[in-house]
Amino acid sequence: MALYNFKKIMVVPTAKDFIDLTLSKTQRKTPTVVHKHYQIHRIRHFYMRKVKFTQQNYHDRLSQILTDFPKLDDVHPFYADLMNVLYDKDHYKLALGQINIAKNLIDNVAKDYVRLMKYGDSLYRCKQLKRAALGRMCTIMKRQKQSLEYLEQVRQHLSRLPTIDPNTRTLLLCGYPNVGKSSFINKVTRADVEVQPYAFTTKSLFVGHMDYKYLRWQVVDTPGILDHPLEERNTIEMQAITALAHLRSAVLYVMDVSEQCGHNLEQQLKLFENIRPLFANKPLTIVANKCDVKKITELSEENQKIFSDLVADGIPVIETSTLTEEGVMQVKTEACDRLLAHRVDTKMKGKKVHDVLNRLHLAMPAKRDEKDRPPFIPEGALTRRKAMEVDAPKRKLERDLEVELGDDYVLDLQKYWDLMNKDEKSDKIPEVWEGHNIADYIDPEIMKHLVELEKEEELKVQAGEYDSDEESEDDEMKEIRQLAKQIKEKKKLKFMQSIEKDVHGPRMPRTAKKSHYVAQARRSRSTTRKRKREPSAPPLSRTRSQSASRPPRDASGVRDAKMLKKVKMMMKNSQKDMNRMGKKGEADRHVFDLKPKHLLAGKRKSGSTDRR
Amino acid sequence: MRIEKCYFCSGPVYPGHGMMFVRNDCKVFRFCKSKCHKNFKKKRNPRKTRWTKAFRKSAGKELTVDNSLEFEKRRSIPVKYQRELWNKTVEAMKRVEEIKQKRQAQFIVNRLKKGRELEKSEAISEVKKNIHLIRAPHAAKAKKMEEKMVQKLQEDVEMGED
Repeated sequence: MALYNFKKIMVVPTAKDFIDLTLSKTQRKTPTVVHKHYQIHRIRHFYMRKVKFTQQNYHDRLSQILTDFPKLDDVHPFYADLMNVLYDKDHYKLALGQINIAKNLIDNVAKDYVRLMKYGDSLYRCKQLKRAALGRMCTIMKRQKQSLEYLEQVRQHLSRLPTIDPNTRTLLLCGYPNVGKSSFINKVTRADVEVQPYAFTTKSLFVGHMDYKYLRWQVVDTPGILDHPLEERNTIEMQAITALAHLRSAVLYVMDVSEQCGHNLEQQLKLFENIRPLFANKPLTIVANKCDVKKITELSEENQKIFSDLVADGIPVIETSTLTEEGVMQVKTEACDRLLAHRVDTKMKGKKVHDVLNRLHLAMPAKRDEKDRPPFIPEGALTRRKAMEVDAPKRKLERDLEVELGDDYVLDLQKYWDLMNKDEKSDKIPEVWEGHNIADYIDPEIMKHLVELEKEEELKVQAGEYDSDEESEDDEMKEIRQLAKQIKEKKKLKFMQSIEKDVHGPRMPRTAKKSHYVAQARRSRSTTRKRKREPSAPPLSRTRSQSASRPPRDASGVRDAKMLKKVKMMMKNSQKDMNRMGKKGEADRHVFDLKPKHLLAGKRKSGSTDRR
Repeated sequence: MRIEKCYFCSGPVYPGHGMMFVRNDCKVFRFCKSKCHKNFKKKRNPRKTRWTKAFRKSAGKELTVDNSLEFEKRRSIPVKYQRELWNKTVEAMKRVEEIKQKRQAQFIVNRLKKGRELEKSEAISEVKKNIHLIRAPHAAKAKKMEEKMVQKLQEDVEMGED
């Protein structure tokens, strides 16, 4: 189906452009450097390549043109006829034929010169051969100038043709110029065809689409047809005739009752009779347009007779006015229904139907008893349907209220609540009390439960569960407790004092194994004693007593216990911060993490920079 | 507006506080603070984390079954608003809260009673054993003997009179 390819036809360049294009391409895409001193086969190969490349290019482009353009024999006869009308079938075929001949000629030229080049014995010879070859090819193309121009114009026009599907449901509008065909299509579809008071405003076919009964319909608007024999018709009218002839559609013959188009009713009738043969096998409807100006009943007797004759023939005549839009919908429905019926009939008479019909079977349930079971439609649905038909006045919406009150409007959905008491609707409902949700306590029977709870509580109080044992303590017990407290404190004190004494000095814990170093230390003391000292060397016990006479370091310079206490406290206070930071001592200023990642990296979302 | 319960510590989550995590199986977890959230992410079991209410209740440290606790629960049947019902509920709520707190406190007191007994007996044994640390033995005994003798003499005198 060549429907869409009309837009995809490649651009046809002019002859001059074509030549320039191909030659520059050859220049760019093939090697450019060759010298006299190269080996002859290399020179030959170089020039042969150029010739072949040029030939290839021409061949490709021309073949593409030939394949892109639709073959009049392959497309739907409607399009074939249309193209004949617009572009002249002979001229078209001739142009394409010329292109084909040119292609073959170029191929031959290339073949010949490549063969000749095999016998070229110098760079100069090969070069001349190449020049000749390319020259001949380009001359052939120059001669195709006319054909290429014509084909370009055809292509441009083709791509702008409206896409009419010849097989789908179509309504075709025809009649004299200026009767109101374009206004009709404007009303019925979303098409926007020019409507002007002069004749032949519409110069080509226009398509509009509309929906009816959930199906897509094409509406084709044609240029007006005048009443003269077929041979004398011009291109514009021929398009309309082509459409009439080939499209299987419903025909709407539009007549101007008021004779404003410049032709009276007899002429219109005559035209109708003339093209009647084209309406064979097509459901026909007559549209009596411009009835706002003049109705059929206002016409003279003879003219009215014309219409009644037509009706008697079996052709429906519908009065319309595209200005006031009366009758337009009626025409549409009438024509569509008739076309659908016609299409169904044709399908039934065809051969494909039986395949489908054999497979279709409508199952009806068998009656099991005489009881009548009609379909059930709830009352609400019925009332709503009635309201839709009668178009009952709508209830007042919030939006209307909003528009009315303007700035004072306050949205209050609580007024639609369905409560037991109407006046409670605007209450402010408490939600939370002291950390508890009130909604969790809501229970219709809460008072009952509360009464039971109170009863329980009373029982418990009576049973003495809430009595405290503190009063049952007598004085003796209190005294014992106090004494016990004092004893505990005294014990603690004694313990702490004994620790402070530090009688033995630093000790290895009991669980530490007798290690190598301990043995060494012990040994070293005995081994270093190399020579016996004079008796004046003080024994160990002497050093002990000496240290005993000197006050310990942390108690030197301290006057009394109070000062000692204060001194100790000061020392501990100054050490607190260091201990907390895990420092070895005052001199430990080492910063383990100079640039902590969590402070310096990443986006700053929430939190301060000391913890982010 | 509702005050939700934290999934981890069972504390109240006020509006505008805490975090909510929705899992792929559409279960919603609310947390009152980042402590609970972080513990959850570490996959810790609230029933085993000692500071949470879930642990306390499952370990029997707090009152679990009681009628006063049945008042506050989420009911699936909605009740239409009635002013008097709401008023009554607010008052009842206050009374129920009182009773609940009383009972919870009593539960804990009962639980700690044993400890108090132990404390008592410990104090007595402590005094018996280590009284010598604060009082010299026989410190007040002389005075006491004197008083006793005086008392005995008095009784004898009375007896002699009768």
